[in-house]
Amino acid sequence: MKFTENVRGALDGLNANRRRSFLSMLGIVIGIAAVVIIISITQGSQKSISERIEALGTNLINVRPGRRGGARGMRAQTLTDLFTVADGERILKRASAVKRVVPVVNRRLLLQYRDKNAEIQINGVTPEYQDVFNFWVEEGKFISDQDLKSLRTVIVLGQEVATDLFGDGNPVGQSIMVNGPSTRYKFRVIGVMESKGQVMFSHFDEQAFVPLTTAQKRLLQTKHVDSFSIQAKSKETASEATEQIDAILYQKFQDDTKYRIFSQEELLSTMGSVMQTFSIMLVGIAGISLLVGGIGIMNTMLVSVTERTREIGTRMAVGAKRSDILLQFLWESMVLCLVGGVIGIVIGWIGSTIIASIAGWTTIVSFPAIALALGFATVVGLFFGIYPANKASKLDPVEALRYE
Amino acid sequence: MVIFERSRKHNMIKAIDIKKTYRVGKVEIAALQAVSLEIKEGEFVSITGSSGSGKSTLMHIIGCLDRPTSGKFFLDDEEVGELKDDALAEIRNKKIGFVFQQFNLLSRSTALRNVELPLIYGEVNRRERIDRARVALERVEMAHRLHHRPNELSGGERQRIAIARALVTNPSLILADEPTGNLDSKTGQAILDLFQKLHQQGHTLIVVTHERYVSGYAQRIIRLRDGLIERDEKTNRP
Repeated sequence: MKFTENVRGALDGLNANRRRSFLSMLGIVIGIAAVVIIISITQGSQKSISERIEALGTNLINVRPGRRGGARGMRAQTLTDLFTVADGERILKRASAVKRVVPVVNRRLLLQYRDKNAEIQINGVTPEYQDVFNFWVEEGKFISDQDLKSLRTVIVLGQEVATDLFGDGNPVGQSIMVNGPSTRYKFRVIGVMESKGQVMFSHFDEQAFVPLTTAQKRLLQTKHVDSFSIQAKSKETASEATEQIDAILYQKFQDDTKYRIFSQEELLSTMGSVMQTFSIMLVGIAGISLLVGGIGIMNTMLVSVTERTREIGTRMAVGAKRSDILLQFLWESMVLCLVGGVIGIVIGWIGSTIIASIAGWTTIVSFPAIALALGFATVVGLFFGIYPANKASKLDPVEALRYE
Repeated sequence: MVIFERSRKHNMIKAIDIKKTYRVGKVEIAALQAVSLEIKEGEFVSITGSSGSGKSTLMHIIGCLDRPTSGKFFLDDEEVGELKDDALAEIRNKKIGFVFQQFNLLSRSTALRNVELPLIYGEVNRRERIDRARVALERVEMAHRLHHRPNELSGGERQRIAIARALVTNPSLILADEPTGNLDSKTGQAILDLFQKLHQQGHTLIVVTHERYVSGYAQRIIRLRDGLIERDEKTNRP
């Protein structure tokens, strides 16, 4: 029999008992809707997480000293070795895939303005910091080369720090006190950064920035830097840059536990695989509801085969082959599941849109998700249709015609 | 001349010593024991007998719904006793038109669709199917009920549609099992008149019935008893 006849026959069969068809379809509808919603949420959050990671900066690579477990009552972890500015310069000079290197020192220090104070993270950075992190000054100006060279006591505040200390007033041009571990300096505020919010684990608006040299020599009295923030030339060369940096640092330290390289790329793929594991788990749960729905379909189909025994007999009498009967019932269960699947997709789509607007999550209903859902529905229909369809096709025509 | 004509016609059905036994638990029941039979093309035959006489079993074998346990059975000169299920289905489709006591129509489908059914299984294309179904419905005077469903029709009308379904493939043989059993006598008469008309048009008809007035329409009455042919007689019907 032709395809259209099969589908038409199946629809006729389902039409014959609309309420029952609909009820047995419900399990599939719910299962598919759940699959679509789950996939759309996980894909949406995956996208928003990667967007946030990418907002951290462009083609960013972070290099930090290695850590070693503490011993004999010392702090639990100590840094293995320390970097100097010269290491950063060497990287910039020798790693061809590297565009910019920003040495960073950071420490939590106390800021004071009149009667207000705030203990925040102070970063000693170079002017290129802005480019590397894609994080720009909003008011006033950022640290300049001249500031760096002259060890000027100038400071750029993060948005929230500015609000905390100055309220609605304009901080630019004001003086604040910065308390180092053993010194105290008066700094002039030269700028306020734009708001960037929290990106992964660092809150950019709750930080302040001073020239690297000022931080090293005046505030902290150190020759070392805490980390390098390095920008690769392009996305494509990011992993190459990582390898080059690794080679350069290994040459110096002769020990790969003495430094750690974190690339944005790596972070992205880690997050990606975490999300994937998560979504597979959730889809698995939705799959269980599909399984239950499928069993419902099988039950309905079995009842239907029994009820329609005489019809099956009649069809056989007028020339239906066993394969025609088998296909008829298989199509019926498949159409049942497919119609349920389509309804489920529509409900899932609407549901994920509602979730997106209520919870404020990003949800993406993608083509692969829909294809997957429909595929699932078809497989369920086939799998759970085989037994009833086979039962129907094995009926003896004489017995079937006699059935009351 | 007429006799000469008839003798020239070949055997539509030829049964040689067919037996059919069923197993019920450990007991074997012989529904048919050694039945031999010839029915020629164009004949109108009635098979009668009380219940349990084996007439249904014989009908199932003649209708290729079942195979004899032993013996040879030829339909249209083809031995069908040994054929596989699919081949039997094809023979039922092409050569036999069934009419049942309960009409056995698809209740949710229109008259037209019901009549199309055998053609669907016969892989006839849609256009031709509809044309042929219309013609068959016209032949049973149901052209005005093409798009009605069985539950909108009277018993007689339903049986006419069932007959149209049997006619639509232009079968060699029309096999009716108690065709008037679910009809009042007046409607039953009308259906039998229709059979009479089909017979005059040259169709081969076999009607299985236990009602005397029904068999009265046939040219030949075969009477079964306990799985054997008790009597095989010609009537004076044309």
